[in-house]
Amino acid sequence: MFESEMLTHNLLKDYVKDLVSKGQRIDGRGFQDYRPIEVKEGTFTKAEGEAWIKLGNTQVLVGVKADVGEPFPDTPDKGVLVSNTELLPLASPTFEPGPPNENAIEVARVVDRAIRSADAVDMSSLVIVEGKLVYMLFLDMYVLDYDGNLEDALTIASLIALGRAEIPKVEIKDDGEIEVKEEKWKVNLKDLPINFTFVKIGDQLLLDPVLEEEQVSDAAITLAIDKEGRVCSIQKKHGKFTMEEILNATSIARSKWPEIAERVREAI
Amino acid sequence: MPLYVEKKPEVLITEDGVRTDGRKPYEMRPVRMTVGILDKADGSAFIEWGGNKILAAVFGPREVHPKHLVLPDKALVRTRYNMAPFSTPERKRPGPDRRSVELSKVIREALKPAIFVENYPGSVIDIFIEVLRSDAGTRVAGVNAASLALANAGIAMRGLVAACAVGRVGDFVVCDPNHDEDMWGDADMPMAMLMEAEEITLLQTDGPMTEEQFREALKLGRNSIRFLYEMQKEALKRPYQVVERSVRGVV
Amino acid sequence: MSESAILVKNREVVVPGQPLARGRFKLGRDVFRDESGIIRAKKLGLADIKEDTVSVVPLSGAYIPKEGDIVIGIISRISGSTIIVDIRSPYQGVIPIPRGRATERVDMRKYNLKLGDVILAKVKAFDGSSSLLLTIDMEGLGKLEGGYILEVEPAKVPRVIGKRQSMLTILKEKTRSDIIVGNNGRIWVRSPSLRELLALEKALRKIETESHVSGLSDRVSSFLTQELSD
Repeated sequence: MFESEMLTHNLLKDYVKDLVSKGQRIDGRGFQDYRPIEVKEGTFTKAEGEAWIKLGNTQVLVGVKADVGEPFPDTPDKGVLVSNTELLPLASPTFEPGPPNENAIEVARVVDRAIRSADAVDMSSLVIVEGKLVYMLFLDMYVLDYDGNLEDALTIASLIALGRAEIPKVEIKDDGEIEVKEEKWKVNLKDLPINFTFVKIGDQLLLDPVLEEEQVSDAAITLAIDKEGRVCSIQKKHGKFTMEEILNATSIARSKWPEIAERVREAI
Repeated sequence: MPLYVEKKPEVLITEDGVRTDGRKPYEMRPVRMTVGILDKADGSAFIEWGGNKILAAVFGPREVHPKHLVLPDKALVRTRYNMAPFSTPERKRPGPDRRSVELSKVIREALKPAIFVENYPGSVIDIFIEVLRSDAGTRVAGVNAASLALANAGIAMRGLVAACAVGRVGDFVVCDPNHDEDMWGDADMPMAMLMEAEEITLLQTDGPMTEEQFREALKLGRNSIRFLYEMQKEALKRPYQVVERSVRGVV
Repeated sequence: MSESAILVKNREVVVPGQPLARGRFKLGRDVFRDESGIIRAKKLGLADIKEDTVSVVPLSGAYIPKEGDIVIGIISRISGSTIIVDIRSPYQGVIPIPRGRATERVDMRKYNLKLGDVILAKVKAFDGSSSLLLTIDMEGLGKLEGGYILEVEPAKVPRVIGKRQSMLTILKEKTRSDIIVGNNGRIWVRSPSLRELLALEKALRKIETESHVSGLSDRVSSFLTQELSD
């Protein structure tokens, strides 16, 4: 994904390609196998909902923070969801401190788009007083250890964090004062749109690439599947695909959805 | 608009020295240190201290970019202390602010005397501290974790740097101020030491103390730091002992 | 000053600053003597006391080049008459491209390198800070073709090789692979199949995590036998 910033050696490409041509991957997985997903137990943040997950050696931590404020003028009947990704310098020797670069912004938007396009978070349920006061959810995605496929890891962690979020109830009193109650409400997740990232190496599609596979890949694509099995968002990244390959990727993703969705539900 | 409103407790410390979290004046909150939890960093550590959860990672010694920062006779040491947006009750805007820039500097100056920078001329050692959850005393927790991450990265050091804050609440000198004491206490004094030589590498004070209180605070700080230093040593050795036990158990 | 004494057990895990000995002992590697004459560890490692010398065998740390080391490098830049080589160290290696006919005995084909190529090189000279001169002008050095690169902690390289190459021999024979170990912790491997390579990779992780526990060679050997049986 960030191949331009990383020094790769020429043996890597030949080796990975040679394996792929024999139907193998460098870590011994099958082309359509996900790495193990581990959800860390415990509380690590002050967010209203959070999830620290490991996807193989990739580690991400997502926190959902809530606030209240005015809705956007063009959507007075909807709450606000803001997504932000930080590629922390401690996650990789190639990440540098500073404001999010284009890679970080792209990742954040890919996750955000999957969630929004599937209408996963019921945005109208975030309204307190139409046109005046709504809940604002901040989805802060922290990358702690980067070993490939941030999109999928962050999507999984984001859904778990949203699903777990418990937010203080806010009401407007008769005198117009805002009152924050002890009582909490839970975010209503209507769908579980899951992103599936594939890289193309030679003429093969590999699901859930590790860093080395990303580095030598000819093309990469991330696509989200909703609970109905519909494709709800796509981001083609570098390289090129045939139409057949894209269709193939969507059907693999569709077949993988129940397994990953179950993992997300379990964690929530 | 804040969803979380801070309320000052009526009593910060009772006459017989009971604090808002039930601790006695010289008592520390529970601390747990773990080393080596990140794969891509050269060294890493995680500290849980009271409600604080802080990650530290070290990269280096590595090549310096940009080149004009190179110091020909020693390693450059860079430190970034950063608070996650979800580390505070109110979401914190991402990116550095004046506080985090200052803390990055004092933490760097707490750690640098411990590093044999002259052993790595022309290189850089990067230290990253990420506060995932903050609950008073993040800078000293960060120093403890960063010191462990440096040792875990195999960097040549004079010794480990351990750190603890002490403070004053009314007439009491207290160990490891909690959130309430941090907000409404009378004095706060973070300290770090190179424990083997008993040298102070970080000392800040915010709030007045009498000569007598100050002496008591320094002494309490040193004793608390000594305790944390023992935990650091244990945390660094633990993974090797675990492996040894499991290998011996099997063979 | 007080009498000479050893303050740790041999092969004990020690942390930076830990007192190891005081008195007449000599300083070995990765130790220092403080103002009061106590010899202390500089790094996390194993205390190593041989006769009158006190050292620490580090358990981790970056690769710092030494003259005569054999390293596996990746060409990171070629500018004019020099080749810049990444050797996974704070310092970049430089290989000057020899000029045409003045050096007739030099095989110029060796210098036909491109970005990303992997080479086996020798550290010719290092001033300790900036100038690191590599050479490939020797039998056996130069571009590595085929195979794959694995990495281990540079501090663990001596354990991957073993006494009189004992560990390396076990790794080569059990995995039926060609293996070249660079002092910088890069390891070039050509295995008969993915199975052997994955087994080798696991064996290397085992060496890294268990290097401080005695009997390592036997454990690695039986691990590989088990991993590659049937």
